[in-house]
Amino acid sequence: MQKFIRHLCVSAISLVMAAGVARAEDEIRIGVIYPLTGAAASTGVELKAAAELAAAVVNKEIPAPPGLVAGVGLPNLKGAKIKLVFGDHQGNPQVGATEAERLITQEHVVALLGCYFSNVTATASQVAERYGVPFLNGSSSSTPLSQRGFKWFFRTSPHDDLFVANFFEFFKDMEKTKGAKLKTLALFNENTLWGGETTKLETRLAEEQGYTVAEKILYPAKTTQMTSEVQRLKAASPEVVMQSSYLGDAILAMKTYKELGFTPAMLMANDAGFSDSEFLKTLGKDGDFILSREVWSLDLAEKNPLIRQVNDMMKERNKINFTGNSSREFTAIAVIADALNRAGSTAPEALRKALSETDIPGSATIMPWKGIKFDQTGQNTLGSGIIVQVQNGQYVTVWPFDVATKDVVYPMPAWDRR
Amino acid sequence: MKNLKSGNIGLACLATVVVLSFPLLVTQPTYQNFAILVLMAAQLGVAWNILGGYAGQVSLGHAVFFGIGAYTSSMLVTHAGLSPWFGMLAGGVVTSLFALAIGWPCFRLKGHYFAMATIAVAEIMQVVISNWDYLEGAIGIYLPMAPSGFKAFVFTSKIPYYYIALGLLLFSLLVNLAIERSHVGYYLRAIKDEPEAARSLGVSLTRYKLVAIAASSFLTAMGGTLYAQKELFIDPPSMLSTQLSIKIALIAILGGVGTLFGPVVGAIVLITIEEMSRIYFGSSGQGTDMIIYGAIIIVVAVYSPSGLIGLWRQAKGALPFWRAAAPQAKVGEPS
Amino acid sequence: MVHLSTELLLQTLLSGILIGLIYALVAVGLTLIFGVMDVVNFAHGEFVMLGMYGAFWGMALFTLDPLVTLPLTALLLFGFGVLIYQVVIRRILTAPMLSQIFATFGMMILLRGLAQFLWKPDNRLVSHSLVDGKIAFSGLQFGGPQLMAGGGAIVVTLAVWLFLNRTRLGTALEATAIDREAATLMGINTQSMFALAWGIGAACAGIAGVLLSTFFPIFPEVGANFVLIAFVVVVLGGFGSVAGAFWAGIIVGEVEVLGGFLIGPTYKTALVLTLFLLVLLFKPKGLMGKA
Repeated sequence: MQKFIRHLCVSAISLVMAAGVARAEDEIRIGVIYPLTGAAASTGVELKAAAELAAAVVNKEIPAPPGLVAGVGLPNLKGAKIKLVFGDHQGNPQVGATEAERLITQEHVVALLGCYFSNVTATASQVAERYGVPFLNGSSSSTPLSQRGFKWFFRTSPHDDLFVANFFEFFKDMEKTKGAKLKTLALFNENTLWGGETTKLETRLAEEQGYTVAEKILYPAKTTQMTSEVQRLKAASPEVVMQSSYLGDAILAMKTYKELGFTPAMLMANDAGFSDSEFLKTLGKDGDFILSREVWSLDLAEKNPLIRQVNDMMKERNKINFTGNSSREFTAIAVIADALNRAGSTAPEALRKALSETDIPGSATIMPWKGIKFDQTGQNTLGSGIIVQVQNGQYVTVWPFDVATKDVVYPMPAWDRR
Repeated sequence: MKNLKSGNIGLACLATVVVLSFPLLVTQPTYQNFAILVLMAAQLGVAWNILGGYAGQVSLGHAVFFGIGAYTSSMLVTHAGLSPWFGMLAGGVVTSLFALAIGWPCFRLKGHYFAMATIAVAEIMQVVISNWDYLEGAIGIYLPMAPSGFKAFVFTSKIPYYYIALGLLLFSLLVNLAIERSHVGYYLRAIKDEPEAARSLGVSLTRYKLVAIAASSFLTAMGGTLYAQKELFIDPPSMLSTQLSIKIALIAILGGVGTLFGPVVGAIVLITIEEMSRIYFGSSGQGTDMIIYGAIIIVVAVYSPSGLIGLWRQAKGALPFWRAAAPQAKVGEPS
Repeated sequence: MVHLSTELLLQTLLSGILIGLIYALVAVGLTLIFGVMDVVNFAHGEFVMLGMYGAFWGMALFTLDPLVTLPLTALLLFGFGVLIYQVVIRRILTAPMLSQIFATFGMMILLRGLAQFLWKPDNRLVSHSLVDGKIAFSGLQFGGPQLMAGGGAIVVTLAVWLFLNRTRLGTALEATAIDREAATLMGINTQSMFALAWGIGAACAGIAGVLLSTFFPIFPEVGANFVLIAFVVVVLGGFGSVAGAFWAGIIVGEVEVLGGFLIGPTYKTALVLTLFLLVLLFKPKGLMGKA
């Protein structure tokens, strides 16, 4: 038995040692932290696929369509290759911080990317800040993340302030041009950081802009039934339901709406579960007519051919389309590669400076943004949101009206009239 | 016997030197961080052990104490500008009072029933705090990164956290030892092993259990403050989840319930397994890390029901220097 | 702002019963295992998860409706429950309660990991089942899958109850639950009784999973949603009582759905758990628990 324990200790120690093995010199290591196990694992795995595709493009393992910023590669670093080192945060902020520390000190990554969950990004980016390593956040939307006065934190994605403001601009536009009547709102959000913050912003903007909040529900995630929630919504009979849910809850909510025959004039979803590639795969036609804020949509390929070309690459490699989440993670890798190339060095300060001088036009990315350019807080100022609707099992862009590819279907048809 | 004892003392001295000089010898922050995680986990396990091990009341809701401690100190930092050191004590006091209020009715419950009740209390508190606007509800609390220093309990280096975690662990072990050696410990053992006999002798069961829960929750709350000051962000799901409660208990059980150093051994093994399986298999996104972690827990539970310390004792066939610790636990036998 | 109509209330009440019946079915297996051998099974939610995947793969691979494959899924889960008993539980019968908790806790993690490894972490759902569509009358409406699930839960719970109370084997199982030593003296093989309890327990949870599969998303971690509720139902009904679990399931469903509707869905879980605490403190043997 003692022998057994000794063996256990020895193998544990050798495993620890193995983490520090030597590595090729021309390899630039970038740490990427996603939820790869746990409730959000399916999203995390998709993000990982997008990041790997971007790295393959940067490394010229796959030919890139002309004009794509990621396709430039790293000529200023003598064609060095980037290597992504993935960490799994399991949806836990402490694990996120631990992984960040390990990737920085053990794997010697020159920059960190991640973490999808805002609360994990909060702790992991603190570690990067302490070590003076650039942290590029691609898809966490919590506003305070970029208001912490950090020097090493950059975020390409727009944040909740802008997204929620978009909702209300959209309502106004709908009232103006379509004669829609959207005065009473019901807020239906999950009860963690993201849903809590969204509720706060939505309540404030509704008040400022003269909308009535008829019902406000912060529901517990991982619930077994949503009947009580949906009945509450029915009782409040709002014109718009504004919903923030992760995937499992989004699916359950749609099933419950259908079961109980609830259709508001407008179901305005807040991305995440509603734009996950599995949402429509799972729900099929039942997913039709929901609106969701987005940052990306495949039909925008009509305006920017890169979107179609890069999506085809993803489809070939991983048999999935991009989503708003994975496209942002793809773009984050492109941004870091661009900065590395301009810096011509992997020194932290040089990389930070290059990042802060980032100026990529929207047409060189797969995002429908004006571009990527950071302000002093590290927030991209050229990002923007769009609103998509599911029509015939496809996400189509319906707002802003000048980039829309389809007209909004309003009001949402009742379940028995589909 | 004498030889054995002096051998053990030598071993203990060596261990002390190694533990004290660890962060000076190992300068890799990852390893230092790993050591801190182990110390923090061990401290929580030791705190849990007072209630779960010595008093035999299996709590699966200790995250609630951890969370209240962290929330108290963090609120005092962000709203009153008080030092987290004060917050740590205040958190301990608040948590102990809460624990006494919970313990008083719940100690009527035996075995599984008590365990279930503690899960329920923690889950209810998670809902309450998630909806409590004054505590920032679901959004959570960011703690300031600057200024750093001893008074602010924020450090850029890992080393101070290491010694604070170590100090907290030693303090918890001392509390544990003091309780065990005092008449409280004597009665607790009596309550656990022979509840009927103890009652007939006039031992107030509830009173001694209350002492145990107050001490256990106080120490757990201190651990919560340390977590908050180390990670600088707290929110309900990361502070109050049942998953965390179970992990705290698991640390003690893995090492050996009702033994002084059991939770320390448990923490070393559990955190190592957790970190290793995640580092080497987690990034695949295939769930391999969970398979390994789960399988190891099952194997330990099946082959070593009295924990690793028990296993060690079986192997040695003699009692090592922590013999003062309580005899093999028979915790939570349905009574 | 909320306008309560009788229709809304009645609908909520009836929907609460439907989901409550599912809770009951999940809890029946758990309470049986507990009643017979005093082991709390933390991996019970994972049996539900396996049942869901059984239904899903039946549909995905052989386009067989979940209702068609239900007997096979139940049988597989029964076998799996017996296997778990033989491989793990049998070895910890005399271990302290804590090791039992952790063996089943480890199993929970292991099974989730295995599900992710084998079937990917994706969310899935069985669409286009035989029971699609819905029934509406006088303003009330019920989804076919939910009605089927509720009805199925009644049938299975009743079957288990009849088995325990009206058959020789069931009586032997009950006898083991009441007094292990006496049962052994009567010539009952307690080992096979325990295995049987695990088999039935897993099968019940698996059937609940199959019934849920047409309207509840299926993913490796889905068991987590159900296990806490199942514990509440078991305690409320009384550890070990199948009839108790049945009524307690409905009560919990109502407290959650109707209570959540009236007081605020934000607090629905807290409501259920508060009820649970009150029952524990004031009626610790539950509604129909055995002394």
